[in-house]
Amino acid sequence: MEIFSQGMQALIDGLLTGGVYAMIGAGLSLIFGVMRIINFGHGDFVVLGMYSAFFAATALHMDPYLSILVVAPLAYLLGFAVHRLILSRLLGASEQSTKLASLGIGLVVSNAILLGFGTQPQTVDTTYSTSVWVMQVGTLELRFSVIRVVAMVITAALIFLLNRMLFTSEIGKAIRATGQNRLGAELQGVDTRRIYAVIFGIGTVLAATAGVLLLPLLSATPTMGTIFTNKAFVITILGGLGSMPGAIIGGLILGVVESLGSSIFPLIPFLNNHFGSNYRDAYGLIIFLLVLLLKPEGLFGRTVKRV
Amino acid sequence: MKKSALLLITLGLSGALAQSTDTIKVGAITSLTGRFATFGKMQKAGFQVAIKEINSRGGVLGKKLELVLEDDASDTNKALAAAEKLVNQGVPLIIGAYASSITKPLSQYLTREKVPLLVATAVDDTITNPGSPYVFRVNNASKAYTQGFIELFRKLQVKTIAVLTSNDAFGKSVMKDITTLGPEAGFKIVAQDSYDQGLSDFRPILNRFKSLDPDVVYLASYEADSVTIMRQSKEVGLKPRFFAGAATGFALPSFAKAAGDAAEGTLVSVTWSDDVRYAGALRLYKSLKTELKEEPSQHAAQSYAAMLAAADAIQRAGGLDREKVQQALKKTLLVTAYGPVKFRDYDGFTNQNPVVILITQVQKGKVVTVYPDRVSEAKVMEAK
Repeated sequence: MEIFSQGMQALIDGLLTGGVYAMIGAGLSLIFGVMRIINFGHGDFVVLGMYSAFFAATALHMDPYLSILVVAPLAYLLGFAVHRLILSRLLGASEQSTKLASLGIGLVVSNAILLGFGTQPQTVDTTYSTSVWVMQVGTLELRFSVIRVVAMVITAALIFLLNRMLFTSEIGKAIRATGQNRLGAELQGVDTRRIYAVIFGIGTVLAATAGVLLLPLLSATPTMGTIFTNKAFVITILGGLGSMPGAIIGGLILGVVESLGSSIFPLIPFLNNHFGSNYRDAYGLIIFLLVLLLKPEGLFGRTVKRV
Repeated sequence: MKKSALLLITLGLSGALAQSTDTIKVGAITSLTGRFATFGKMQKAGFQVAIKEINSRGGVLGKKLELVLEDDASDTNKALAAAEKLVNQGVPLIIGAYASSITKPLSQYLTREKVPLLVATAVDDTITNPGSPYVFRVNNASKAYTQGFIELFRKLQVKTIAVLTSNDAFGKSVMKDITTLGPEAGFKIVAQDSYDQGLSDFRPILNRFKSLDPDVVYLASYEADSVTIMRQSKEVGLKPRFFAGAATGFALPSFAKAAGDAAEGTLVSVTWSDDVRYAGALRLYKSLKTELKEEPSQHAAQSYAAMLAAADAIQRAGGLDREKVQQALKKTLLVTAYGPVKFRDYDGFTNQNPVVILITQVQKGKVVTVYPDRVSEAKVMEAK
């Protein structure tokens, strides 16, 4: 019973955390799917989102979640500009150079934050940081964190909009065409350089928005970007590189596995002394390795053929 | 071959000469960047306030005291590299570092080099227990922080305790203290868990604690985690009679501010607070505040006291000889605004300064001292 009630709560917590993970993963996956670049600076853009919301909250007295309306367009412009100024110069260069460039961009972002805000962890206290909705099912009491539910809803809405854009609009078709075959798209009159910049912009928006959503839940430090990049990487591999639904499922799986793993194992006698909450990150990595072992293309991936 | 050896000797000599003429350099290592940076900033301010005070009184041995501050970037290897650099520069002693996990290896290295290490903040018991003749600690050991709480828990008739600490030297030390001293004092430890630093979700642990309904949730965490734990405790509905934090993250002035109403009622054990009744404490608080441009924490005061002790030992040693400085430190007897500094051997500890432990509580967003009664004006408030 103990295991059941705590397991249910852990499932809910894991799903809600996984929602934000999904948004981070979706950005990385989208950029990879179209541009074949693994953006090693992705996590640093998440942190940039956190600090933008922090700045909005402390200097402009703006609600962190409301600041998405400002942060998202700015993130788009930033991503677009970064591609135009740096990554577009590397089109046709080796994969190594784009990887290194994205790593370098991430370093510049995190050090700029370091310079601007200092090294100490920053937190924002909102009135709704700790509010919960409580659901009573018989003797079972389930708690839904208001802020995490809101974050989940925003994530779902953004990903839904993005998906509609990809499948119905003209630019969406051009994006998909570019992802499938750059030369073919080019022959049909698609300006693939522009498409790449747009995609990098959208990827940056997803990362930064996830950062804004995370700020009221976590303390922000300038150098925490690598943690997010690693998580995003695990998520996209879980779901299959380049697959958006895969990124969403991957994010949810990671959230649930981490949460369930660290709450169930300590309740089981004989195991509790060996598998405490310390292993939280390990549970995610175990699933990651299992997927790589059994289905190397990821849960939703297709084998990528390069032209 | 011969030539280069000669050159080295001349260089070494001229280095020593240069040092003996202008100022007396004191080496210090702390975390100015990385995850312990807030504490490093506090330490730096403490050192600087002390140096200003010493120099305005005429310095040490007729010379100005100079701080040679090295950043360990919250990393053990960088701390060791910094220590090597300072040792080669010929400093008479080194003060440092912030974190226990960094200070412990540092103490072992400096003992081997026979350079006195003055620990201002790190609390892991094993730094001075058994300790070494070259390691001196101004702050109390982590055991004392827990002993202070045990006395208060007895008074409050606490029965059950759940423990959560960070998974590093400091956290493990606190975990060991509470799980040995607690049962000895008749309390039942109903749960114990630790977590890795970083991006943390404490809810699975806190949910488990909630189902056990302990009287006290005993915590040891660094800065960001202490805020997150309190927020998530509120989120999962964990309501013990008391949350108790062993110094560090909970002892920062920013804790109560950042955690907001989730911090309300939290008890914290510290060695210094601005309302403590030591002579000059209020003046020290003000100078630290001016230096920092924000509220100082106990870590700043500890570092201030460590620098005073360093200057005092060099003065009494009559020079920069490390053995003589070590002998002088052993005979330290200093009264400071942080309290008295005297390095004693007791209870398995070596060169340990026993500082009185105070317990503060967040009451209506303000941090007030509630224990021991003779130094506090406010009373402990209970959540239930």
